[in-house]
Amino acid sequence: MLEDAIDATGITKTYGPITAVDHVDLRVPAGGVFGLLGPNGAGKTTIIKVLTGLSELTAGEARVAGFDVRRYPMQVKQRIGWVAAEVILDDDFSGWENLWLQAKFQRLSDWQGRAKELLAYFSLEDRKKDKVSTYSTGMRKKLEIALALLHEPQVIFMDEPTIGLDPGTRRMLWELITGVNREYGITIFLTSHYIEEADALCGLVGIIDQGRIVALGTPADLKAKVSGDFIEIETGETVDEGRFRSVPGVQEVHIQGATWVLKVTRAEEVLPRLFDALKPDLIRRINVEKPSLESVYMERTGKRIDQAESGVHDYRKFYANVRRARR
Amino acid sequence: MSNETEHVALFPSKDVQPAVPEVIHRVPQGSQFAGLYARELLRTFRNPWVLVITIVQPFMWLAFFGSSFANVPLSALEALLHIHIQSYLQFLLPGVLSTSMLTVGMFGAMSTIQDKRFGYMKRILLTPTSKTTVYLSKALGSATRGLVQIPVMIVAALAFGVHLYGDPLMWAGWVLCLVFLALGFSFLFLAVTASSTDWQTPGVISNFLMMPLMFASGALFPAANFPSWMATIANWNPVTYAALFGRGVVVNGTADWLYLGYTAIFAGVMALAGTLVARKYLKVE
Repeated sequence: MLEDAIDATGITKTYGPITAVDHVDLRVPAGGVFGLLGPNGAGKTTIIKVLTGLSELTAGEARVAGFDVRRYPMQVKQRIGWVAAEVILDDDFSGWENLWLQAKFQRLSDWQGRAKELLAYFSLEDRKKDKVSTYSTGMRKKLEIALALLHEPQVIFMDEPTIGLDPGTRRMLWELITGVNREYGITIFLTSHYIEEADALCGLVGIIDQGRIVALGTPADLKAKVSGDFIEIETGETVDEGRFRSVPGVQEVHIQGATWVLKVTRAEEVLPRLFDALKPDLIRRINVEKPSLESVYMERTGKRIDQAESGVHDYRKFYANVRRARR
Repeated sequence: MSNETEHVALFPSKDVQPAVPEVIHRVPQGSQFAGLYARELLRTFRNPWVLVITIVQPFMWLAFFGSSFANVPLSALEALLHIHIQSYLQFLLPGVLSTSMLTVGMFGAMSTIQDKRFGYMKRILLTPTSKTTVYLSKALGSATRGLVQIPVMIVAALAFGVHLYGDPLMWAGWVLCLVFLALGFSFLFLAVTASSTDWQTPGVISNFLMMPLMFASGALFPAANFPSWMATIANWNPVTYAALFGRGVVVNGTADWLYLGYTAIFAGVMALAGTLVARKYLKVE
């Protein structure tokens, strides 16, 4: 039986008065793809830093690839690969030289064969002698993943692997990540603030907010836990709240600026009744939100992931009320 | 994965772990040092301008500084410098070489800060490479860069028609003095800037160290002319001893091997202290 690739208990990291990671428990089974989903500043990168031994844990214990990160950081580092959010390569060197340096750092003896194999896999062969500074963003990302794979790691940490990439390159990377996981059998631990990314790639998702894991499970399980849909309606004139409340199936009503946010049992059933209750020409915009990892996040934290950091917490109060009402 | 199965077979239960875990399919640790050191040198000398400046600078030193007393009679110079010389350049060469070792640490410090800023330090330290290895490779890299000046400047001096004495053993001792000086100052620089991520720091520290250590040494002017406080600094200044050793060799054909010992002690102490500092304070980003 394989043990967990990552097994962390109560891991905590503080920087002075700031608690970046707050008693997080994580278990990632070997061979899986785990996604840590949350807004910027939630503590995702810090979790990668403490799990990889780059930063020291303030409290808690973590085993990665079978080794305690505190006691055997070098053993952990031999068994993990790392892909940075910002693509970190030595631009003064060629693709092949970057692989050579990585092989030196990992103390590999026979690395050339593997390096060639990886360059072929990532279709970088014909550019291997060119300086990395001449590569496109997608190529740089691919080379970085090749570096992470060179020493046959058991776990690869990918920090925001598709941040700042165009949709085409992102899709290509998704396929590569899935392929690497399947073909090389490597456990992948990735962080993201893209809901669709976590949904598409990860067998297991942890949702993180302000240093704490607020939900953990498979994407399907997490979505199943959110009961009901959300309907957003913008109306032309002022509408009395009572008119929404009187519609059967509407559980909660809240106004956010000019937009009404309704929590309903099932949008398919409630929408026709809503149209009956309101004059259709009164409706300017309507938006239906089915259960998604986003709604899991909204339900647990009261805000949208993309708004969490900006300070525009449109939905916060409303969902906080929803939560309170449920208890 | 072969690693996985090997690993599982070795440690069947997650609670059982050998006291010293085995290292898998790896070559010796020197590999990391070799990689980092090669990276430093390649990065430096692939830039043609670095090469050109490295070669041109010693010539300029000797041409400009060496000509400053061109119209002074040699006897007057000899009285001022307290030494019998054939030319001012003969006196100056060992001094200029010694003082030029003062700044070599700046290159290593700047390259380290660049690695912190661009995140490459993370890439290095997320492999089983220790901070000590990073520190030593950076220090040796910048010292090497500085040492390239030695042959260039000696050739330059010969080109200016300077007569140099000494036998091969003495010359080896002199070069070793300069190597120790370059290493010592590289270790010092990198230790002082270990926790810095600011581009400006190496330059500021270099300027700060340069002034006292350059002039409060016997490198450019004899310490016999100094006031006592400055002579005290010069006595403790390793630049003095590398310069005096070299001057003994090229001017008189004599070597005071004790001076070589002093510079060796300086390099050794700096290596030890610097490694301790870097292990604790070398920042990742």
